[in-house]
Amino acid sequence: MFCYQCEQTTRLPTGDGCASAKGLCGKDATTADLQDLLVHAVKGIAQQARRARALGVPDNDAGAFMLHALFTTLTNVNFNPTRFVTLLHEAAAVRDRVAARCEAALVADSDTAQTAPAPTGPAVDWTPAADLTGLLAQAATVPVNADLARVGADVVGLRALILYGMKGVAAYANHAAVLGYTRDAVFAGVEETMAYLASDPTDMAELLDRALSVGRLNLQVMEMLDAANTGRFGTPHPTAVRVTPVAGKAILVSGHDLGDLEALLKQTAGTDINVYTHGEMLPAHGYPALKAYPHLVGNFGGAWQDQQTDFATFPGPILMTSNCIIEPGPRYRQRIFTTGPVGWPGVRHLADHAFAPLIAAAHALPGFKADDLKTAGPEQTVTVGFGGDAVLGVAGAVVEAVKAGDIRHFFLIGGCDGAAAGRNYYSDFATGAPDDTVVLTLGCAKYRFNRHEFGSIGGIPRLLDIGQCNDSYSAIRIASALAEAFGCGVNDLPLSLVVSWFEQKAAAVLLTLLALGIRNIRLGPTLPAFLTPTLLAVLVERFGIQPITTAPDDIAAALTCAA
Amino acid sequence: MTFHTVDLLTRDGARLSFPCAEDQSVVEAAAAADLFLPVVCREGGCGACRATAESGDYQLGPHSEAALSAADAARRAILLCRTYPRGPLALSAPFDRARILTQALRPRHAVVSERTLIGARTVRLRLTLEDEGEGSAAEFEAGQYMELEIPDGAGLRRAYSLANTANWDGTLEFLIRLHPQGHFSEYLERRAAVGDRLRVHGPLGGFTLRENGLRPRWFVAGGTGLAPMLSMLRRMAEYQDPQPARLYFGVNRAEELFALEELGALTDSLPGGFALIPCVWQAEADWSGVVGTPADALRADLAAMSGEAPDLYVCGPPALIAAVEQAARDRGVPDDHLFSERFLPGAR
Ligand SMILES: Cc1cc2nc3c(=O)[nH]c(=O)nc-3n(C[C@H](O)[C@H](O)[C@H](O)COP(=O)(O)OP(=O)(O)OC[C@H]3O[C@@H](n4cnc5c(N)ncnc54)[C@H](O)[C@@H]3O)c2cc1C
Ligand code: SF4
Ligand code: SF4
Repeated sequence: MFCYQCEQTTRLPTGDGCASAKGLCGKDATTADLQDLLVHAVKGIAQQARRARALGVPDNDAGAFMLHALFTTLTNVNFNPTRFVTLLHEAAAVRDRVAARCEAALVADSDTAQTAPAPTGPAVDWTPAADLTGLLAQAATVPVNADLARVGADVVGLRALILYGMKGVAAYANHAAVLGYTRDAVFAGVEETMAYLASDPTDMAELLDRALSVGRLNLQVMEMLDAANTGRFGTPHPTAVRVTPVAGKAILVSGHDLGDLEALLKQTAGTDINVYTHGEMLPAHGYPALKAYPHLVGNFGGAWQDQQTDFATFPGPILMTSNCIIEPGPRYRQRIFTTGPVGWPGVRHLADHAFAPLIAAAHALPGFKADDLKTAGPEQTVTVGFGGDAVLGVAGAVVEAVKAGDIRHFFLIGGCDGAAAGRNYYSDFATGAPDDTVVLTLGCAKYRFNRHEFGSIGGIPRLLDIGQCNDSYSAIRIASALAEAFGCGVNDLPLSLVVSWFEQKAAAVLLTLLALGIRNIRLGPTLPAFLTPTLLAVLVERFGIQPITTAPDDIAAALTCAA
Repeated sequence: MTFHTVDLLTRDGARLSFPCAEDQSVVEAAAAADLFLPVVCREGGCGACRATAESGDYQLGPHSEAALSAADAARRAILLCRTYPRGPLALSAPFDRARILTQALRPRHAVVSERTLIGARTVRLRLTLEDEGEGSAAEFEAGQYMELEIPDGAGLRRAYSLANTANWDGTLEFLIRLHPQGHFSEYLERRAAVGDRLRVHGPLGGFTLRENGLRPRWFVAGGTGLAPMLSMLRRMAEYQDPQPARLYFGVNRAEELFALEELGALTDSLPGGFALIPCVWQAEADWSGVVGTPADALRADLAAMSGEAPDLYVCGPPALIAAVEQAARDRGVPDDHLFSERFLPGAR
């Protein structure tokens, strides 16, 4: 196996990347290799689907399949090799179906043949081997660094940046698609980019342009996801969320999929089961259509990397709806369930909202007992739901506070959390930000500081939780609106972006920020292993990207620059 | 005392490392580091803790030939409970990381809810776990076993594989062969009654299903070695696993066959298809099925097979396992397709 797609990848003096029997995330070599082959298969689908679109017979079902398939290959999503073998066979069938559509369209109208020549290349010709050994042999020919000796690390790194950005795009677009929101332009963009990767491109300038167009595609996708979330569940409002449990039977829902949460809330309505959010599901509490369910009682546990301890102590079953799953411990392996793109060997998968086994488990397990809670201390809450509209609603007050000098600076501290020691930089940063500054946050990095008492400035809370990493669109809207109010560009605002990345959704968001021309982002806790020194130099030169140093130094630097 | 570092690589690629003194077994040293390896008898009798020494010097303590033959020991197969390091050791284990507990299991109590003779000298025993503050759910992985203490038996316990799947009613189902003069057998045969309360320990063991794509899963059971196979097959049905499955179920005489109804029910519920192949060793004239041991039947089918070599899950007496291993080797099935559990008497 060879994988260097996430922040926690193995870093060695001899070269970075997880390349032994098992990656640091727990992904074994078989699964990693099958994922590489699935990406290859998706490229083949994309090539055919791009042609079908050009011929006027677009196949958005193939697009939806590509989104789902790419989503399964993100860090901490699916670890089940059997699932990947099934997906590989499905992928070949989808590709062949689209190819047949193209042929049928040509029979109907032979003049169009020139406008869309038949695609060629290994991803179009590939047929899945009959057995696992054969599939692994095929996978060995298509790892991300396959061409390294021929094209060099810079080209491989840029291709990886595009691929990982596309994985993030696919994940976000899949979140929207399962809520019933899709767009032709997004499917076309996915086809275009994956087909481009299938051509094994080597032109550095073109690759860099394509990377930025992935960022623009992702902006569309995040806007679509925002429309999906608010369209289905209403506009988030600031909401206090209990982070201490209540007595009674309990189910914990983790991941990002609000549709799964809603389905489960419906299925448990009127029972004695309480539903808790975990990790990135926390912002769900801000949505009117979800908080209307009285049995959505609170949030439990910390960020994803604490799940093995959090889940072991949770007295009910757990549902994982998307990233980020880590190896289920023996104490809760029988009561954790996966759905959607997620999978773990030996863990029961519930497809299509068929949650009956999960609910049966909740009835059988003890839940929180009143006696245990007596010792748990007083009730605590955190406030969520400062989505775009909520913040923009107080924009007037914010602008006034800035003009009056009460708010000196904004810090957007966003992205993923992780287990690495260097990540306390983000809590040090947030808690060390001076009292006349406001901290905006999104993603799960906030679990490091969201129980801290930040206070407020003239009624405006100093910590504004915008939502999931999926809600980056809101952050962009807020920044644009502030820029408009001050009559300047986003780069001229008293705003510093401090981005904590972990996996491929963050790669997509980063590309979006760059595509929007946002400069001077502080990126950490470490830089992506796929960015070579040459690529990094380009990013520093063109976008002023800065690796993080220490929290006090970076705060001071940000405030000096802005002053 | 000299300590050495033991590096243990699990089946799913996790690496664990802990210090081990020269007079400490690997199992004891792991426990001192809060890692509880899958073991049963802890004295070289049962073979539950078999592993392989990839590199390093060690001494093997006394153990039964059935748990680890001299030939296997010469190939650096070891029993973790009988391995004492003489230098840094690198070991590879045939079980997953998840089978290693990081907390000692608390014993629980269960009540006998059914005891039925279902074949010649074979009992189905059903227990219901008591709710001792953590709910009554029976949480285990298909293929694992529990240790049951004989009531008033001075703590004497025996390992039995679970035949059902994890469930929320707290039901534990076992298929148990009655051995003449056996301690647990005696209890079951003469004294056990619905309502009896037993101490149970578990779940334990690393003999569980392995995700290897769509590779066929062939199960080979001797007698009550059927129990973990039934559990695995039932789990496959619950999860709607896509792999084609077949089961070779061997007994000595046709009247010893049991659980045929449950097995028949699986035919319709396994999406990848299921073939049941009962094998009778000493068959009467009216037996129309396979005559011989399941290992013989398997050997013939492996020879006739085309396509991907199956994963083989084998459970029963050591002689059966040895015969299956031999058949698999002769037919070129790779070693990493073989998973087995030995039903050995463990004295404790
Ligand atoms: C991991 C594991 C899982 C097991 N699962 C099952 C299961 O699901 N079902 C099941 O029936 N058994 C199973 N066993 C075997 C079980 O643990 C006992 O060893 C067996 O039931 C005998 O226990 P006993 O107390 O009745 O006999 P003991 O008191 O241990 O033995 C008394 C006498 O019986 C003889 N005897 C004991 N076992 C055998 C044997 N296998 N063949 C011939 N003679 C024997 C002994 O030689 C001795 O003379 C399993 C063993 C292991 C290690
Ligand atoms: S996802 Fe990250 S930790 Fe997992 S194998 Fe890839 S680089 Fe390593
Ligand atoms: S922010 Fe990133 S790491 Fe955190 S839960 Fe979302 S996807 Fe996972």
